[in-house]
Amino acid sequence: MPRTDARAREDRPRWWGSTAFRITLLHLVLTLIGTLALSGVAWWASTGFALRQLAQDVERDSGLLQQAIRIGGPRSAAISIEARLASDRSGTQYYLLAGPDGARLAGNLASAPQTPGWRQLRLSGADAGAGAELLALGTPLPGGGFLMVGRDIAPVRQLEGFLLSAAGWVGGVALLLGLGGGLLIGRGVTRRAAAMGTALARVEAGEIDHRLPVRRGGDEFDRLARRINTALDRVQGLMQALRQVTDDIAHDLRTPLNRLRQRLEAALRTAQGEADWRAATEGAILDCERLLDIFAALLRIAQAESGARRAGFTRFDLSAVAETVAEVHAPAAEERGQSLETAIAPGLEMLGDSDLVTQMLSNLLDNAVKHGRAGGRVALRLAPASSGGAVLTVEDDGPGIPAGARGAVLHRFHRLDAARATPGTGLGLALVKAVAELHGIDLHLGEAMPGLRVTLAIPGVTPGQGSGA
Amino acid sequence: MRILVVEDDAETADYVVRGLTEAGHTVDRAADGREGLFLASDGGYDVLVVDRMLPKLDGLGLVRALRAAGVRSPVLFLTARTGVGDRVEGLEAGADDYLGKPFAFTELAARLNALARRPPLSAEATVLRVGDLEMDLLKRLVTRAGQRIELQPREFRLLEFLMRRAGQVVTRTMLLEGVWDFHFDPKTSVVETHISRLRAKLDREGAPPLIHTMRGAGYCLRAPD
Repeated sequence: MPRTDARAREDRPRWWGSTAFRITLLHLVLTLIGTLALSGVAWWASTGFALRQLAQDVERDSGLLQQAIRIGGPRSAAISIEARLASDRSGTQYYLLAGPDGARLAGNLASAPQTPGWRQLRLSGADAGAGAELLALGTPLPGGGFLMVGRDIAPVRQLEGFLLSAAGWVGGVALLLGLGGGLLIGRGVTRRAAAMGTALARVEAGEIDHRLPVRRGGDEFDRLARRINTALDRVQGLMQALRQVTDDIAHDLRTPLNRLRQRLEAALRTAQGEADWRAATEGAILDCERLLDIFAALLRIAQAESGARRAGFTRFDLSAVAETVAEVHAPAAEERGQSLETAIAPGLEMLGDSDLVTQMLSNLLDNAVKHGRAGGRVALRLAPASSGGAVLTVEDDGPGIPAGARGAVLHRFHRLDAARATPGTGLGLALVKAVAELHGIDLHLGEAMPGLRVTLAIPGVTPGQGSGA
Repeated sequence: MRILVVEDDAETADYVVRGLTEAGHTVDRAADGREGLFLASDGGYDVLVVDRMLPKLDGLGLVRALRAAGVRSPVLFLTARTGVGDRVEGLEAGADDYLGKPFAFTELAARLNALARRPPLSAEATVLRVGDLEMDLLKRLVTRAGQRIELQPREFRLLEFLMRRAGQVVTRTMLLEGVWDFHFDPKTSVVETHISRLRAKLDREGAPPLIHTMRGAGYCLRAPD
């Protein structure tokens, strides 16, 4: 099956186009951005804090030394510096005290640019801790001379290094987690979409009763699957109804077509002259008419069921239609010796399709006369209802319809076994049902004790302007 | 009569043309809507038979164009679509009658006769006369040879329908449509019953019959020779 192959190729997912890939990528990017932002804040907060601590230390030390110079002169400050250096085992403190002539009085810094203010400097070879990096504060002394106090920044640099490697680790872990999480979520989405796709493919392949899997959770996928399943149920129902109708039509048209064929074959075999041929031809025309009747009824039912006729609804005199229908069926009732009783309230108007309503009432009376008892009674009544509409009833005193079969007789071609002896297409009540539904009429088949009572509750019926005659 | 048949299906067209020619009419045939419009536009036909669905220009369009051009020749629509909505649409477009396919030839012939001989609307009479039968439409009175005849409303409508088409064959379907507003066949003998009741009232005491049954075709009301 080359076509299926082609379609399968078309449907084959490209990994970069899949939802899973996009979710993974998005997840990854967001995780990385988050980690970077967090590391940045941590960096800024902790190294900034360490540098500020260092600067405070330098400022306080420089202040103390300047106080010593003011009180005890440069000599006492020099002693303090030497004492500090002697006790500084870690070797992170740096000092320079220079006289007015620029010569070093105390300290471990060989030479320093004698400029006031904060600066960062790297020590050259001549100094004690060559290569160290300092944060230093230079202060000119009153009456000449210069004091510089410095601290090694190495601890801050260490902290920075530590933070950097920590950020690296966290970033790496976040990357892995993002990738894993994204893949996991993506795979879940892909799996469920694939499961739905597989199920739909089976439906497409003809397993019309197959349904999408629904988990108990009830997430978006389950809701979607449930919706699709409901839609599939509906489609299946419609398909079955259509198949039923097609089967019915095929079956019920075959019988009269077969009769027509038998009649013509018999004529070919046995007809002996003009009169025989004529009789056979006339019979064949009658058979054709029966077939055409069935088609016409089917088309009318289809029209009524489609609802398209609603656009052409007009207000018409229902009472007059009921009177006419009763009049048209009176001869048939008379032929069967039945009395046709009518009680029709005049001048009731309804909005609808008068042709279809006429046919609906005609079918009901036709049924009542055909299936009612010969010599019995058929009744047609139309009266306004207390609820605002109107109620129309058609009654006969025949065998009626067993309660269990009342739903079935409304279907196309359904005929009760007892009715098979009487002529009819089996479409009369199906049309009644379709027309009733088109007009929002409530159709009820009940018991007339004995016989059938059909009740139509017709909404929107109003007394007309005219006399209704 | 001069009749134009606009029908694209060759078999149906042959059947209709042959039947009408045999009945003594002069028949032309057009195979599509545009040809039909061309032939009919001079108004030289007594009646047109137009299929609803035609190539190039469909039946509705053809009739609308003819009416817009002032051609008043009566038109009978033939159609395979027998929905009521279609019938109303056709009549609104300017057609005068409507016949669903398949149809009996007698039905078509009777309807064409009725269409072609329809009196112009302006000359609407208030009194109809056929032989010694007289119907006063205003007073709603019917007399035969001066004798008053009492009719039920439906019988009056039926007689009026027949008198307006006196001398023509009127089919059962035409009567169901025109007198009872039934656009389908209820399969009852209501037409026969009413005709026989009407006969009984019209032909009293050995008077010559006015309503004749045309076997296989319908009824005809005509004055005795």
